[in-house]
Amino acid sequence: MDEIVVIGLSVLTSIAILLLTSLGLAVVFGLMRIVNMAHGEFLMIGAFTTTVAVRSLELPIWLAILCAPVVCGLVGALVELAFIRPLYGRRLIDTLLATFGLSLILYQVAINIFGTAPPGIGTPSGWIEIGHYTVSYYSLFLPVAALVITALLYVLFKFTRYGLLSRAAAHNPDMASVLGVEVRRVNLVTFALGCALAGLGGGLLSPMVAVSPGVGQTYIGQAFMTVITGGPAFLLGTLSASALLGGISNIVSQLFTTLWGLTALLVTAIVLVRLLPNGISGSWSRQL
Amino acid sequence: MTASTWTTTLGRWTQVAVRRGFLWPTIAVVAVLLLSPLLSTSTELKWTLWLAFGILAMSLTLVWGISGIFSFGQNAFFGVGGYAFAVAAFNIYPATGETLSALLIAACVAALFTALLGYVTFYGRVGDVYLAIVTLAVTLILYTVMSSTAGPEYRIGKAYLGGFNGMPSVPGIAFGTGELGYGGLFAFAVCLAGALYIFARFLLTGRYGEILAGIRENETRMELLGYNVRFHKLGIFVIGGAIAGIGGGLFTAWGTFINPSVFSLQQAALVVIWVMVGGRGSLMGAFVGVAVVQWISDQADKIVAQQTPLILGILLLAMVLAFPGGIVPAISRWFNRARKDGKRKRDAVNAAPTQVPSPETKPENENGGVPLPGGRISTHHVGKRFGGSVALDDVTLEFGQHSIHAVVGPNGAGKSTLFGLISGRHKVTQGRVELNGLDVTRMPTHQRARHGLGVKLQVPSIFLGLSVQQNIALALNAPRKRKQTRPPATTVLAMIGLLEKTHETASNLSHGEQQWLEIGMLIAQNPSVMLFDEPAAGMTQEERKRTVELVQKLSINHTVIVVEHDMAFVRALGAPVVMLYRGNVFRHGNFDELSNDDAVRNIYLGRKRDA
Repeated sequence: MDEIVVIGLSVLTSIAILLLTSLGLAVVFGLMRIVNMAHGEFLMIGAFTTTVAVRSLELPIWLAILCAPVVCGLVGALVELAFIRPLYGRRLIDTLLATFGLSLILYQVAINIFGTAPPGIGTPSGWIEIGHYTVSYYSLFLPVAALVITALLYVLFKFTRYGLLSRAAAHNPDMASVLGVEVRRVNLVTFALGCALAGLGGGLLSPMVAVSPGVGQTYIGQAFMTVITGGPAFLLGTLSASALLGGISNIVSQLFTTLWGLTALLVTAIVLVRLLPNGISGSWSRQL
Repeated sequence: MTASTWTTTLGRWTQVAVRRGFLWPTIAVVAVLLLSPLLSTSTELKWTLWLAFGILAMSLTLVWGISGIFSFGQNAFFGVGGYAFAVAAFNIYPATGETLSALLIAACVAALFTALLGYVTFYGRVGDVYLAIVTLAVTLILYTVMSSTAGPEYRIGKAYLGGFNGMPSVPGIAFGTGELGYGGLFAFAVCLAGALYIFARFLLTGRYGEILAGIRENETRMELLGYNVRFHKLGIFVIGGAIAGIGGGLFTAWGTFINPSVFSLQQAALVVIWVMVGGRGSLMGAFVGVAVVQWISDQADKIVAQQTPLILGILLLAMVLAFPGGIVPAISRWFNRARKDGKRKRDAVNAAPTQVPSPETKPENENGGVPLPGGRISTHHVGKRFGGSVALDDVTLEFGQHSIHAVVGPNGAGKSTLFGLISGRHKVTQGRVELNGLDVTRMPTHQRARHGLGVKLQVPSIFLGLSVQQNIALALNAPRKRKQTRPPATTVLAMIGLLEKTHETASNLSHGEQQWLEIGMLIAQNPSVMLFDEPAAGMTQEERKRTVELVQKLSINHTVIVVEHDMAFVRALGAPVVMLYRGNVFRHGNFDELSNDDAVRNIYLGRKRDA
């Protein structure tokens, strides 16, 4: 019984991690049709922001985590202005390659600043005991945080002016600009939001994983698969895909090894893409 | 065989080799082999590596630049090939003393892997961007997977996969007489790269190259012509995968070593950069790109050590922002322009007035080939629902042999849906579609085309980047089911009035001419049933008149169905009219009957709902 609860909690944590690392990518891809290859590096920047804020500035961990999306949002806005904006109207592959170049640059810059294996921060203490097992509060907190963030995003896109404008700009940019929507500004905000979300994900993960310049690359492959599997409804689709892929990969990991868990994630995603080319949410009528 | 026949055979072969571009690579291979004794060992080693990378880059050129499929996974296939070579070599070399079979296995394993991935993505009709992401994700996950195979349980025969540290001491290339030395390996690499290059040229200069260009330019049109686009895309993807796999095998043999870093993001970026620098469309550019980028990165490494990702990132960003077409093509364009400018100045001095071709030199009395049997298309109670809305309710129509039929109706009547159901773009939700007595309801578009259905879309759907002649050739060579004669290209060009623009690139044609070119492709395809979607859209009065004449002429030997909005055009056609309204057949008859019908007038003029 205890074992089932613990496995269940671990599945929830995996799903949360997948969701947290995918949301930013999903927002940028879903609304701007930009494949942000530097997404993993924004995760990394977020994780480093939190680490530095805790270690050097001695901020409390909660505040440090909240610094991450701010820093990443700002960097994201700069990146949009400098590299993404000139490429609007070009083929999709061009923004993909440009952000890819950026990803390599950010990775090397991080190595130059922090080295390959910098010291990390500990997981916030506190755990509960379930039978013979202990589960840290923090790994319970992650699923809650992931759900809250998704819910907030849902509210943002469903009920605010920005949400409406951004979806209009995504749906038909020409029509939106004819109707007076400043598509450029909306896109700037959307891109920055996506980067901020990546940063928040990185910040939230930083107490649990070894933060290194390569940390983003560990997650980006899975994040891509999740976003593709999720399909056009970029919030609920990504949530469903995270639940499915995260669940399967965690259970397989526990039964066999992490290696098989990852392989299972990949195979599930590829089979799903074959069966549902437009993703899980491909046939849904909702947009979010 | 006498000496003279030998010489003629040889002469013919040389001609083919020159025409298809085999000669220069052969000469280059021989020249490098002759010069190789002059090279130092370190140069030979470096160049061998470059050749392995060049083969990899060439595989991406084939898949991306030539066929328009952006794959991020090329280095994954390279890595899979490299690993397959290592595993095979460890198991085979001790027994046979050669590793050529291991190289063959590397190609096969990479091809198989590519085929699986390609089947899922192409047959799942995944979009282009998704393919890029899927291939990249596969690469990254392979990196993680191969990095975690450190334990002794990860063993294939005698080969340990070795996890993050990889597989050391892999046997090199061997022909059964021990492993080749550096010089031997270099010579082998030169021959291998040359052979693969010639193979690629062979593919591209033949019919297959034409098909790939067509797919790159316009997949929809290729399907409408009867080409199995998914199959061909899968084909070139697998060929690219196999070539990358061979490159990977050579890479492993070069370093007698392979580790998961072949699956890294950096490596994935490198492949793209090589191809971009060399120019996406050029096979030789792949090798040039490798040499240029590797040289730059070697030089940069001497100034600031171990900053490769930074340099690659800046290079990639700069390429995308400044030279999206590639550096080598940009330089050669600049060079050509400079040369042309000089030539133009010289020509301007003794220029003669050029003769303007008269527009009325085309023979108009030809028709599009031999009359065909069949030419019947019918729908039986077809209906189509999109979600909850009914686009087409219950339509039964029969279009007889060799005549024109017009389908009209107000907006939302179901014209486009009917068109889509007949052409195969939409799947019916109920009912049956028959073409020449054959049930084609579940048949994909390209199969319908092979059974004799030709489609002209509303917005001209042609191969913009190809010449007029190539456009027509793709239609003439399209696969077909029955013995269908096709008119000669010149006849087609004359009929559509583009004889003088045979070598013009299609994108330079006017809108009207592009419409004509598409009709020309239909004539060349010579299907028994021709389906026109608003052929007169965007045409001038004069062009419209000529279109009516052409359609009437085509209807002598073909069944022509015109879906049209423009009532003047329909009247001019003088054909029986089917009017659709709210997803059903509303009226049947000739134009005058319909135009005098009160109910029809009410629908078109919107006076009363029910008359």
